[in-house]
This record gives sequence, C-alpha cells and structure tokens, in this order.
Amino acid sequence: MLSIETRALTKNFSVPEKDPGLWGSVKSLFNRRWRQVRAVDSVSIKIEEGELVGFLGANGAGKTTTLKMLSGLLTPTSGEAVVLGHVPWKRKSAFQRRFSLVMGQRTQLWWEIPALETFRLNQVIYGLSDADYKKNLGELVDLLELQDCLSVPVKKLSLGQRMRAELAAALLHKPALLLLDEPTLGLDVVMQQKVRAFIKEYNKRNKATILLTSHNMDDVVELCPRVIVIELGRLLYDGPLAQLVSRYADHKIIRAVFDREVKAADLAHLGTVVEDGGLKAVLQVPRGQVSARAAKLLQGFPVVDLTIDEVPIDDIVRRIFTHK
Amino acid sequence: MIRKYWTAYAISLQETLQRRSSLLMDRVGGVAIIVSLYYFWKALLGTKPSFLGYSGEQMLSYVLVMNILRSFVFTGRGWQLVGEISSGRISSYLVRPISYHGYTLALDLAQKTVHLAAAFLEVGVLIAAIGARVYLPHSLSTWLLFSVSVAVSSLLFFFMEFMVSSLAFWTSESGGPLFCFELGLQFAAGTFFPLDVLPHSLQKALAMTPFPYMVFFPINIYLERMAPAEAVKILGIQAVWLAFFVWAATAVWKLGLSNYSAEGG
Ligand SMILES: Nc1ncnc2c1ncn2[C@@H]1O[C@H](COP(=O)(O)OP(=O)(O)OP(=O)(O)O)[C@@H](O)[C@H]1O
Ligand SMILES: [Mg+2]
Repeated sequence: MLSIETRALTKNFSVPEKDPGLWGSVKSLFNRRWRQVRAVDSVSIKIEEGELVGFLGANGAGKTTTLKMLSGLLTPTSGEAVVLGHVPWKRKSAFQRRFSLVMGQRTQLWWEIPALETFRLNQVIYGLSDADYKKNLGELVDLLELQDCLSVPVKKLSLGQRMRAELAAALLHKPALLLLDEPTLGLDVVMQQKVRAFIKEYNKRNKATILLTSHNMDDVVELCPRVIVIELGRLLYDGPLAQLVSRYADHKIIRAVFDREVKAADLAHLGTVVEDGGLKAVLQVPRGQVSARAAKLLQGFPVVDLTIDEVPIDDIVRRIFTHK
Repeated sequence: MIRKYWTAYAISLQETLQRRSSLLMDRVGGVAIIVSLYYFWKALLGTKPSFLGYSGEQMLSYVLVMNILRSFVFTGRGWQLVGEISSGRISSYLVRPISYHGYTLALDLAQKTVHLAAAFLEVGVLIAAIGARVYLPHSLSTWLLFSVSVAVSSLLFFFMEFMVSSLAFWTSESGGPLFCFELGLQFAAGTFFPLDVLPHSLQKALAMTPFPYMVFFPINIYLERMAPAEAVKILGIQAVWLAFFVWAATAVWKLGLSNYSAEGG
C-alpha cells in the first residue's frame, strides 16, 4: 500500500520585496511589491508503507515546505497529495491520528512544565487508553533512555534530552507515518547515534513509514536505503542511495604510497590532489582517465602501493548539499 | 472528548501557577488600581449620600466587584495566541487532532480560575483591612441573572479576543491590533469608572458597541440598579453580540489559516 503519493505538488510563496535601508522600509509601508517564490516545483513521489526514505537537498531546496504540505500545514498552490489515504490539508482527525511531524528546531512540548504533562495531553488528544499509553510510554522511555528527563521542566533539558522527549511525544500514539525534519540537528555524535538507532528500530518494529530530512550524511547513509533529492524545488533524483554514486560521481579516487617524498605540485597534472603527506597522496581523477593516469603515476613516481576507489557516498551527498 | 480539554485545563493550571512571578506582577498591578480607585471615589463621595445615582456603598462596591469581574472576564490567552501565530508554534497544534478553539478556551478557563481566586483573596483582604462594606444583592433572581450575564460576557470576551488575536495571521510582526483592543476595551467597558460618568451622547454611542455589555451592565445587574425586565433585555443583547463574535472569530480564523504560511523550519 502507498503511504504517500504526490502528483505535481507545487507551492509558491509571495514575499514582500523591499529596497534596502530605512527609506526602503518606509516606501514598502505604502507600496508593497510582492514577489513569487516557487519553493516546491511539481514534485511527484510515491512512498510505500514501511519505507524509510531520506529527503535531501541544499538549504532552501524546499524540503521543509514539502513536509509541511504532506502534514497538512500548508495548502499547495497546485498539485495533489494523498497521504495515508487522506488529503492532508483537509486536516481530518482520522488522518491526524495516524501521523506525526517532528521538526528539529521546533517543539510541541510545554516549556514551563515537565515533558510528562505534554505526554498526558497527547494521550487524551490521540484518545489512547490508559493501558496503551502506559505500554507505549514505557517502551519509548526505555528506547530513548528518558528516565531522568520526565519530571524536569522542559526548559531545563539539554538539547539532546529535549529532542528525545520530542520524539517520545510524537510517537506515543504509534503513528503509521513519521515526518522528521532534521531530527539530529545540533546533537553531539553519541546522541546522533542514539537517535538514529531509535529511528531505525521504530521503523522496523512498527512497520512505520518514515520520511526524514537531514544535512547529516551519517543519518542518510546509515538509515535510508532510498533517497529523494530536490534542488530549487524540483525533483533531482529518486532511487536507491547506492545508485546516487554511479550517477553523480564523475570521478574516482587514486591512493598512492611512495618510498620517497613526492611534492604535491608535481602530482597536480595527474588530477586534483585532495590529500598529500609526502609519502602518500590521494588524487581525484575523472572517471574516463583513471587507467591512463594510474599508469603515468606508476611510471613517473616511486610508487610502492596504489589503489583505485569509488568516491565515498557521503562525498556525493555533500556535493549535492552544496550545489556543486 | 471532554477529557481532552479537561486535561488541557489541568495542565494549564499547573503552568500558570508555575509562572508565579508573572502572576504576582499582574495581581499587584491590579491591586494598586483598585486601592487608588477606591480612595478616589471615597474622597469624591465625601459625605454625599449618593453620586450619579450610586449610593456610597454601591460606588465602592462597583470598584471591588469590578476587580473580581475583570479578573474573570478579561483574562485571556490573546498574547499567547499572537505569539504562537507569529512564531509558527501554532503548527504543532494544527497537526494534532484537537480543536484549537476548544483548547484555547480550556487554557483560558484555567487562567481565569487562578485570577478569580487571586481577586477574591485581594478583595477579601481589602475588605478586612479597610473595613469596606460590599453591596450584596437581595434577591435570588439577581444572582441568577448576574451569573448568566457574566458567563455570556466571558465567552463574548473570549471570541472577541480570539478574533483580534487572529489578525496576527496578517500582521505577523506585532500584536498591534490586540494592544489597541485591550486599551480601548478597558476604557469602553467601564473597568476604571462607571460609564454613567460620561456625557450622555458618548454613553449612547458606547451602547451601540459590545463593550458596555461586558462588565458595566453585568455590574449594574449585580448592584440591582436595573429592573429585572431590563436585565433580561441586556442578556438578550449580550447573546446577539456573542453570536456575532462567534461567527466573526470563526470566519477570521478560517481566512487566517488559509493565509498561514507556517513560517519557520
Ligand atoms: N513561509 C514562507 N514564506 C516565504 N517563503 C518561504 C516560506 N517558507 C519557505 N520559503 C522559501 O521557500 C524555499 C524553500 O524553503 P524550505 O524551508 O522548504 O527549504 P529547506 O529545503 O527545508 O531548507 P533547509 O535545508 O535550509 O531547511 C526557500 O527559498 C525559502 O526562502
Ligand atoms: Mg528545512
């Protein structure tokens, strides 16, 4: 069964244009000009139940806007979406009961009081029986190691603690679909690891569909067999993570070890030197030229060892993130 | 169903109590106002038996009852709503299966509960400290009419404030509309002085607005300065205003939501 299906989903925003400076502000008070920004441009995707999909793109690519439409916060300018069998922006409670949206930089937790109170509110909002609530909460507290964070006012929690409490609040009702916007933002490495492990486990245990955005390569590589990439609002790639590499890596990596020191400048004509340590070097070489360049390297330099590799997947993802 | 809003009420009660200092500041400000108003009217009345048709006891009761009434009718979550709209925090409610109106009303009631308790305490202390006498209605029907009119005006305030706060969907930079509303409201509703003080033409004009129906007329019902038939008429007008603002608040809210761009990542 399809969990998410969109057809030519498009969102424009009108943003006021203002000349710089104070005078510009005064002018715009009386005569405001509006400019259309196309944040999402005709995006069509299909996501099956139980899939864990990474949603990638540079800053401003339109990821958050897409998630907002899928969760019903925004009505698209044009196009269609069916999520869990519903049109999300109709905001039917039958739909809202079955999904959750978590935004890394936003909180649904009550700030002044302990997270447990928000959990209780969510229990009644989602109509969970006491038994289900206890069971789900127990499970989440265990998995997310939240024992010590429940009775402290939320504003006193660290970012990592708060993020985990946030996930718990969002998952109490066992949503069939989880939309995660940068769930590891601002977390340290250990905490990132924990949140990742949790997301994976939740997906496996509950057969839940998860669509997550992240600027963190490790999230993507570790969690998402499938990725969707958008750029400037348009769909750029949709498929297995592994194929991203052959599709976007236009070069390979040659690693060489020498028995005498070699200057980086002497290697420059063979490719881009990404690393050089005197006795070893790492070169980026265009795909088609790999064998020729390797031969030249072997002939012209005191090579004792040489390997040829694919570009690591996170480099590719990073390149997509930075528009290169 | 009801449980949702009951839980929201209970949690909000805790939260309001948690913010002790802001509550305290609110109340201290209120007490300062009633104490000064109380002595102002006392001095003005001097030894006169009545003023503007208020007996001395009625006038001073006006000030004290007003404090209680204001705490109940005029406490709302308007600023919170404005904040949640302009920061985009409201998103987290819009994706959950809960009515934002019902939810806000529950929070509102929690706040009213706390403020009402505080107002009773203040007035009680004041009565004990300065030996003021408070007018108590004689007939049961007055109590009944008064309670109904206060309930209606609380709802009226809720929907008015909700409507004005929803304007933040458009003026997302500020709570300007709400600020003006609050300022005008306090004056036009008669919280600082009975509206009888004003020139007749102004009183007539005000009577065309919903404001005097919020606390001024309810207090007049309480002070039994109105015949029961007239009181019932007041209730009727209140009901009409309430119906109008329920409609208006819902309409503005719907328009606002369609204009909402869920700002912020
Ligand atoms: N409420 C809004 N009003 C006007 N323009 C907006 C609004 N929200 C987003 N935009 C614009 O739409 C585009 C897409 O923004 P969006 O937040 O979806 O990007 P994103 O992919 O989530 O980026 P990031 O990785 O930085 O979070 C951007 O150009 C942004 O400026
Ligand atoms: Mg984003």
